[in-house]
Amino acid sequence: MKAIPTLIRQAGTLVMLAMASHAVLAADPVKIGVPVGLSGANSVVAPSVVQAAQLAVDEINAKGGILGRQVSLEVADDGSGAAGAQKAFDSLIFDKKVNALISMETSAARNAGLPIVTRGKVPFIYTSFYEGRSCNRYMYVDAWVPDQQVAPIVDYFVKQYHAKTFFLIGSDYAFGRGMLDFTKTYIEKQGGKVVGNEYLPMDGSDWTPIISKLQGAKPDAIITSTAGGAPNVTLTKQLRAAGVRVPYGNLAVDEGTAKSMGVDAEGIYISGSYVTNIDTPANKTFMAAMQKRFGSDLKTPNDLSVPEYEAIYLYKAAVEKSGSFDTAKVIPALAQVSFDGPRGTIQMSKQRHTPLTMYLGQVQANGSVKVIQSFKNVDPGAQCPALK
Amino acid sequence: MLNLGLDIATTAAILFIVSAGLLMVFGVMKIINFSHGAFLTVGGYASVIVAHAGLGWWWSVPCALAVGFVLGMLVERFIVRPLYARPLDAILATWGLGIIVGQIITLIFGRGVQMVASPVDGAVPFLGTQYSAYRLILVGVAVLVALALGWLVNGTRLGLQTRAVIMNEALARGLGISSARVRFMTFCTGAALASTAGCLITPLASVDPNMGVPWIVGAFMLVLVSGSSLVSLAVASLVLGGAQVLVSTFVNPVLGGLTIAVLAAVLLRFRPEGFARG
Amino acid sequence: MAEPVSTLPLARSASSSWKGPVAIGILALVILAVGSVSLPTFLVNNMIRAFLYAAVALTVDVLWGYTGILTFGQSAFFGIGAYAAGLIFTHEGFSWSLAAAALAAGLGVSWVVSRAVGWLAFYHGASPLYASVVTLVLPIVLVQGIYSGGEFTGSSSGLSGFDSIDIPLEAWFFIAGALLTVLAVTAWLFVRSDAGRLLVAIRENESRCEYLGIDVSRYKARLMDICAVIAAFAGFLFACVQMVVAPEYAGFVFGTELVIWVALGGRGSLIGPIVGAMLIDVGSAYLSGNLPYIWTLLVGVAFVVVIVAMPRGLAPVVASAVRRAVPRRRGTAPRPVAFLAAKPREKADADATRPALSLTNVQKHFGSLKVLDGISFDAHAGELLSLIGPNGAGKSTLMRCIADGAERSSGRVTIGGTDIGKLAPYDCVALGVGRKFQTATVFESMSVAEALRIARHRVSPPSKWKRDATLELPQPALDVLRLTGLDRIPERECRYLSHGQKQALELAMVLALEPRTVLLDEPTAGLTKQERTQIGEIFVALSSQYRMCLLLVEHDLEFVQQISSRIIVLHQGRIVMDGGVHDVVHSDLVRAVYAGETHAAENAA
Repeated sequence: MKAIPTLIRQAGTLVMLAMASHAVLAADPVKIGVPVGLSGANSVVAPSVVQAAQLAVDEINAKGGILGRQVSLEVADDGSGAAGAQKAFDSLIFDKKVNALISMETSAARNAGLPIVTRGKVPFIYTSFYEGRSCNRYMYVDAWVPDQQVAPIVDYFVKQYHAKTFFLIGSDYAFGRGMLDFTKTYIEKQGGKVVGNEYLPMDGSDWTPIISKLQGAKPDAIITSTAGGAPNVTLTKQLRAAGVRVPYGNLAVDEGTAKSMGVDAEGIYISGSYVTNIDTPANKTFMAAMQKRFGSDLKTPNDLSVPEYEAIYLYKAAVEKSGSFDTAKVIPALAQVSFDGPRGTIQMSKQRHTPLTMYLGQVQANGSVKVIQSFKNVDPGAQCPALK
Repeated sequence: MLNLGLDIATTAAILFIVSAGLLMVFGVMKIINFSHGAFLTVGGYASVIVAHAGLGWWWSVPCALAVGFVLGMLVERFIVRPLYARPLDAILATWGLGIIVGQIITLIFGRGVQMVASPVDGAVPFLGTQYSAYRLILVGVAVLVALALGWLVNGTRLGLQTRAVIMNEALARGLGISSARVRFMTFCTGAALASTAGCLITPLASVDPNMGVPWIVGAFMLVLVSGSSLVSLAVASLVLGGAQVLVSTFVNPVLGGLTIAVLAAVLLRFRPEGFARG
Repeated sequence: MAEPVSTLPLARSASSSWKGPVAIGILALVILAVGSVSLPTFLVNNMIRAFLYAAVALTVDVLWGYTGILTFGQSAFFGIGAYAAGLIFTHEGFSWSLAAAALAAGLGVSWVVSRAVGWLAFYHGASPLYASVVTLVLPIVLVQGIYSGGEFTGSSSGLSGFDSIDIPLEAWFFIAGALLTVLAVTAWLFVRSDAGRLLVAIRENESRCEYLGIDVSRYKARLMDICAVIAAFAGFLFACVQMVVAPEYAGFVFGTELVIWVALGGRGSLIGPIVGAMLIDVGSAYLSGNLPYIWTLLVGVAFVVVIVAMPRGLAPVVASAVRRAVPRRRGTAPRPVAFLAAKPREKADADATRPALSLTNVQKHFGSLKVLDGISFDAHAGELLSLIGPNGAGKSTLMRCIADGAERSSGRVTIGGTDIGKLAPYDCVALGVGRKFQTATVFESMSVAEALRIARHRVSPPSKWKRDATLELPQPALDVLRLTGLDRIPERECRYLSHGQKQALELAMVLALEPRTVLLDEPTAGLTKQERTQIGEIFVALSSQYRMCLLLVEHDLEFVQQISSRIIVLHQGRIVMDGGVHDVVHSDLVRAVYAGETHAAENAA
């Protein structure tokens, strides 16, 4: 007899607990995983990527989040390599249980993480430029591929400098070879000739034999695609020390490194989808917001960090369009949504890749990059014909 | 053709400068100092500090010498000395030290690549061709280093004691020579040399926390084929460095990067003394 | 090659039964099965990798911790196995037959590469530094080859997205864990066994092993071959479960990481490297995100501290703490080994007419310095021949020339009628000569019985998985042991023996080889008068009773006079006198050569 009030009390407690936990669940934040190279080769650029992600998340949360849920960032270190990426992706997908992965990786890290993405069935937006043709059911790319980056430089050299012979120099790795293979094909399609195509190991710093060959071949222009960081600097220094002054297009240097190279970098042509002084309202607003948010800690936004910012907004748009966080619904939606960001309008509708506005710039004596020409809506080409 | 010859000469000079410090340590102490790369890096950052302080580049050389020497003292006392009887362990400990120094430099200076302006820019006409001025200067520097070391080893009392210790340590100690002091001074000098080499190569390369690592294996192999003789090191630098340039130029630079290591390993298999006199 | 600090007194378990390790292995398999389904996915993923890394770390421990071969190259073999899978699955697709082909390719290529490394690095007279250099260059060359392979090898990006064996992760967890367990149990049984003691013997005193007839270089090369194939197998599994291969898995950074894990965990302990590898790998997954730079710095500092101050690593520290916390119930004294007499292998007087030892015009020069010139003599079974002469006469050099074919510059040496040509010491031992070194060189961390068993290695190879309770020794060796009392202390470690006991043990070890000729380099150095008398009696018995040919280098003229049957006098590299004891001792020449010692000779006569 006395048991019934006890039972009701117990039942009532249970119901209240259930309601409370449901309320807690409803307020669960949306987790976006950012596996990035906090240590290793990418550690120079990683802080800027994290900052761009943070700004995007802060802005989105201020406006109410995604589908009413606040967004939180989970950053993990992928060590800029395969082994670290596996740990980072595992940790984010299976331990932290993120809703999406949005980040830039080295190609080795990306390749190592893809099987885990497939196993975990999580959308993955890859925000780094790369050698192209990486395809996965769950992956989208909002950065440029060689098909987009090479043409502006080569076309400009042909038109402006009447360049007919080209000498190609690169670091011996997938990105370096991929870029220069594409460049060679493109040059020959435009009627030019490649008089030299040389590679040095990734950690090599002595370009002497290659420079000697270059001086022997006397090309009209040089195009290089070296690994980021030290190889860019050593090659440029040694070229200048040897007195080489032909038009020089660098496919793999960013504004920041160019600035730090000082007077040696003057005159180098670079091509990318972002430079800090792009004159559009969207970019100016973005730069102002970054400055306000990070102040003196600001790491200069660049062609690797701005796509991160835009990718988070793209994810938000895809979720809102499909009305759910369910991967099966978000994946097709990602191809249909678009976002107007600092780089212009981004829509990953071309076989998981996006047409982009590419900028041809030249490094000035004071280290800044002057935009010489811009090319709208450059097509990424056929990257993943097997996927739709 | 002349360019190729200059390439070989200048490459040999650079290899000699980078390896001389390692040779001193190996010749006297019979251990390979795997933190050699870290000392190279320290020297590179010494020139960064000098550049930030607004001084001329040539101040980096004494700065690097001093920093290398002091750091060498600490390393010899705390890491190398306890491991004298365990040469393989000394390799590991110095390798670990290299990791530590790299991480500390990263923490202090950040992982980014630093630039140091070259003291001498551009190419100069030389024997009818244009060639990088700084590289030519380095040939002169290599000769200077060789002469300085030669004088140190052959013309000073410490040098005499060092040669005695190299030839027969037990006997030298029996004659009253403090082999501990000789080894201490040798290590510090070798470290200072490595640091100086690091600052000397910055005009041709960039400065980043890992700049010394690619040099370790090459320098290491050169020292192994040279035993303890400066002359052998010069010969080895010319022969193996020349081979590297030839392979890089006529085959491809990737194989060229491997030339020194592979050739040295095979040479040592058939002639364990290498280039040293038997 | 003997590194004093590396003579680790490894804990030896009480019973030699194989049941213990196998039981623990089975228990581990059960735990694995349970864990595979009960652990969270994230941990399962990480631990699969950690198991495979630990398996490779185990091979590094066997090679380095036990045998003293510092290798940075096990990662290269891991990479070969992984890339075999990656390449075939990427370019040919997946099927069970293709998987078998990939496995065969991975193991085969690893084995071939290991043979090449063995040829380069392990040969008589090679320095351990050079061997380590070769293992360092190997992954560098391999990785550069992968980079250069363009799209075929995936270059720096690696290969990914290939199909592989389609089984659930839990099954992989069990398979990887089972591989580790089986390897660990097998390794444990092997290093505990009698044959496993050879690893430690090689690490401690390679030269002594060679003079005991063991082809050390070949042994090391075989060991590396086995470890290479194991590492390749782990790499193959890794590629199958991870479905990605990248150059960094074959590179020397990974190779040095393996060494770091073994050093930190505790080299020469098997369990230390396993735990060390797993803890650091799984730990870094958790910690490196929070402290990316500090983590590497911490590991680096710990590594240096361990190498300098705690070379045995952390395993012994943990083990002693455990031992103090958990008192052993059974007694820890190992069962003593009993010595038995072995049947003589060869007929005693096989060929009494042929000289046991014959030298013809043997010369040795260092550059222009002639140390030995025109040495010619014959020695027969049953002779006790003493070699005397002032310091620098070339006596020790002559001994070396007899025992090592590569030592002399010219001339002929035959042992038992066979020309030794350029044979290495272990081959000379096979011809029937045993050499006892001047300073007693035994194996410090081994017991008397273990040292003797190593000496019998060539004659009766020890078991690879258990420890025998008996050891057969030839009668001469037994006599030496009984006479000096060593047969009563078979389990005492050699480091605790007195100088005289070490000399006797080394003599017993040499006699265990059943040589027909014994070379003794200053055997009485450092012995007491009583010990000298004892050993003199032994020598006489060896030559007269057992018909061995003894060649003695000695300074003590009194001793020489008492026991020799013949004396050869060496002076400035030449034989100046060769004859009976009485003639030599009383000759004017000897008096002139030994200016100060003629009194002693005269008084004794």
